[in-house]
Amino acid sequence: MKKVAKNAGLEKTGKKVKFSVYMKRYWQLYLMLALPIIYLLIFKYAPMRYILIAFKDYKLNTKLLDMPWASTAGQVDIFKYFKKAMNVDFYNALRNNVVLNLLDLFFGFPAPIIFALILNELPFKFFKKTVQTIAYMPHFLSWVIIYGLSLQLFAPTGGLVNQLIMLTGHEAVPFLNESKHWIVTYVGMGIWQSFGWGSIIYLAAIAGINPELYEAASVDGAGRFSKMWHVTLPGIKSTIVVLLIMNLGGIIGGSFDRVFAMQNNLVLDVAETIATFVYKNGVKQLRFSLSTAVGLFQSVVGLFFLLGANTLSRKLGERGIW
Amino acid sequence: MKRKLVALLLAVSMLLALTACGKKNAKDPSNGELVDGKFTTTRSITVEVYDRDGKTPADNNVWTDWIKKQMLERYNVEVTFKAVPRWTEVDQINNLLAAGEAPDICYTYSYPTILTYANMGGVTDLNPLLTQYKDLLPELWNWLGDENIYYDQDPTTKTVWCVEGRRNNTYRINTFVRQDWLDKLGMKAPTTTEEFEKMLVAFKDNADKLLGKDAAQMIPMMLTFDVGWTAAPIIESFMDPKITDKELYINGYDDRKFTENGTKEAIRLLNKWYNNGLIWKDFALYSSGDTMSDDLCKAGYVGAFIQNYDYPFRNGPDSFNAMLAKTYGPEAKFVAINCFNDKNGKYTHFSYSAAGDRKAFFPLTNKEPLASLLYLNFISSPEVIQYLQIGEEGINHDKLADGAIQIKAVDEAHIAYNQNSGQNIDLTMTCNGLRLSTVELTQKSLAYTYAEVDPKDVANAMVVAEQDAVSPKNVNVGEIASEAEGTDLTGKRDKTYDNAVVCSVADFDKVWDEGMKEYLNAGGQAIINERKAAWEKTYGNKENLD
Repeated sequence: MKKVAKNAGLEKTGKKVKFSVYMKRYWQLYLMLALPIIYLLIFKYAPMRYILIAFKDYKLNTKLLDMPWASTAGQVDIFKYFKKAMNVDFYNALRNNVVLNLLDLFFGFPAPIIFALILNELPFKFFKKTVQTIAYMPHFLSWVIIYGLSLQLFAPTGGLVNQLIMLTGHEAVPFLNESKHWIVTYVGMGIWQSFGWGSIIYLAAIAGINPELYEAASVDGAGRFSKMWHVTLPGIKSTIVVLLIMNLGGIIGGSFDRVFAMQNNLVLDVAETIATFVYKNGVKQLRFSLSTAVGLFQSVVGLFFLLGANTLSRKLGERGIW
Repeated sequence: MKRKLVALLLAVSMLLALTACGKKNAKDPSNGELVDGKFTTTRSITVEVYDRDGKTPADNNVWTDWIKKQMLERYNVEVTFKAVPRWTEVDQINNLLAAGEAPDICYTYSYPTILTYANMGGVTDLNPLLTQYKDLLPELWNWLGDENIYYDQDPTTKTVWCVEGRRNNTYRINTFVRQDWLDKLGMKAPTTTEEFEKMLVAFKDNADKLLGKDAAQMIPMMLTFDVGWTAAPIIESFMDPKITDKELYINGYDDRKFTENGTKEAIRLLNKWYNNGLIWKDFALYSSGDTMSDDLCKAGYVGAFIQNYDYPFRNGPDSFNAMLAKTYGPEAKFVAINCFNDKNGKYTHFSYSAAGDRKAFFPLTNKEPLASLLYLNFISSPEVIQYLQIGEEGINHDKLADGAIQIKAVDEAHIAYNQNSGQNIDLTMTCNGLRLSTVELTQKSLAYTYAEVDPKDVANAMVVAEQDAVSPKNVNVGEIASEAEGTDLTGKRDKTYDNAVVCSVADFDKVWDEGMKEYLNAGGQAIINERKAAWEKTYGNKENLD
């Protein structure tokens, strides 16, 4: 501990502090940092060399570098698997992917914000906590279970909701078995599953707003809505922007389990996304080169979306994510 | 000080974790030979077993324990079982193969899966091994013979990627109707497609009479997402009864008859039935492995369905018929009928061929090919198959007066002896269908192999399954490369089947033709063309095999 005391105040002298000095002083902390860094190196960066598989003819029991470059009819053709993957089905999946994610973004993104704003206005603590907890719950259900629930509720003849509708003398609504209805169900289930959980970060941001601002607003005669509009929302604006950027980055990504659990043969034309396309045509058929090619494509496009959104947010005067 | 200690601990544990990863599994490198048919050092192999969510764990029960003990005693081979869910086996085995975690002995119904993996260099070529060790494998040869062992041998490269299990009976699929419903309505079992339709309409119109307060649950005919299977006899009855072997082979990429002439008209009929409310509305929403359709049949809401020839008899007290009898009385049951007539008035439908059941193969990760072959040899021995199929006397079966074996459900005290699959079929890897010590005994016992089911119904189902049945022939013209191309053709097929059944009558042609076009463009046509060329290369102008 003596050493630390001796070096304290180095920064104030204006001299450039050497890395080794920091190291000496805070080595315990750096050691702690080593753990996540090593984790990232082993599990996130080291596997990246396998991106090469996208450009090679995958062989089992062969070292990555020994695998031959992808070739058609003897000619080296490193983009073979990209060309193979980009068929009608792929473009269809890409379209669905973008459309479903945009719908999710459009309807699903504001939901937790609105929920957080409403919760924030609740004066009864007990009620607030109860509502919050119940809203978090669906987040912990797997999509397989959620689909099971939706079958119980929305199946054309076996579903509870449709049985009620039919009792009132109306036709059953094809929530799950007709494309347009399915999209609504899909987006709705997504919102239901995630809005509670998603609101946590906004509630945290709201909690960080200086209460004096509200007091000042009250003095100026602001009502509840004006306070929400002029204090709360601007207070969490940067949080919203950061999350929006991250969401835009994932516009051609998306989770596999949600769409795979919810799709069925009748709605496949709108329900096949890139993740399920890759599973069915790549992984399931042991075509690893093709799967990797599509995955790489997805990542690169996702990166552009992320960069684009980030630049845009800086232009709009926000901080961006870096 | 405390902080330092924590940091030190973390650093040490990390190092340990890293070194542990790098450590190689120490393995005995010696090639211990067989002495008196037994390994001198104990060998370990893993073996796949289907998991049907039975009463005991699929990979750890009385039967697997028995096999383990026998293998250890006979060959000094230690066996570990690996459970793979039955109804998604192809997906699961793909995932295991991809992860390098497949068992040493795998089995699957899907040859294209094996072929794809073999083309990536992931499957052991059995040909040299079989030649080298033939003398050690007498039971395997006795049971499977050259025909099944070399069934899939490539005519040019001579590679053998798998051996084909054998079916001891070739019954495949049946149509079942509720006998008690027919009786209640004073109807006779239908004998033509037209009468079948009339029967469905009668079921629907008399829902109140047949189901009382549950009338709204009425499902005249069950269908599943796998239309090519659960409507197979209907589809097959629309095919040309004189279809040539060549035509059958060319369109025979899978057994769902999607591209056959006539299939479209069969589905048009289903589409009509669906739109008239004769078919279960929710069928396409439940995918492979879901038990909803079974549950509805057991609950007694279903009038007719098409499935494996013995489907309503399976699983003793949990079988369709046992469940129906429990709820509605002994006269409530499904019986097998033939009623889908082809244009000649016969009930042409396809049975299995004796070869071509499950295919056993060794992934390249198998380091014990000889021990694995010995396992196949063991599991093909008549006494092993018989014991696994009928189990213990007094617990799993009784002997009838004429010597026939009557299978019975195990009681609670002997629940450990429950067979998770009928006749332990999931364990008798090379054998499908009852095979007792003598052919005579087998024949005599066939109808008695289902616990808590009337043997007469079983016997009838076998007669029905055999009537006008056509057995496909083995066409081996070498590898069809486009079949290993890897497009999800099965998915496209089912998608078109399902959508064509549920669309409006007016849209039917459009939906079917577009779906078919998509299927053919995605690789279906390439397979048909390649199969045609391969046939013509091997058999010339021949339309039929001898």
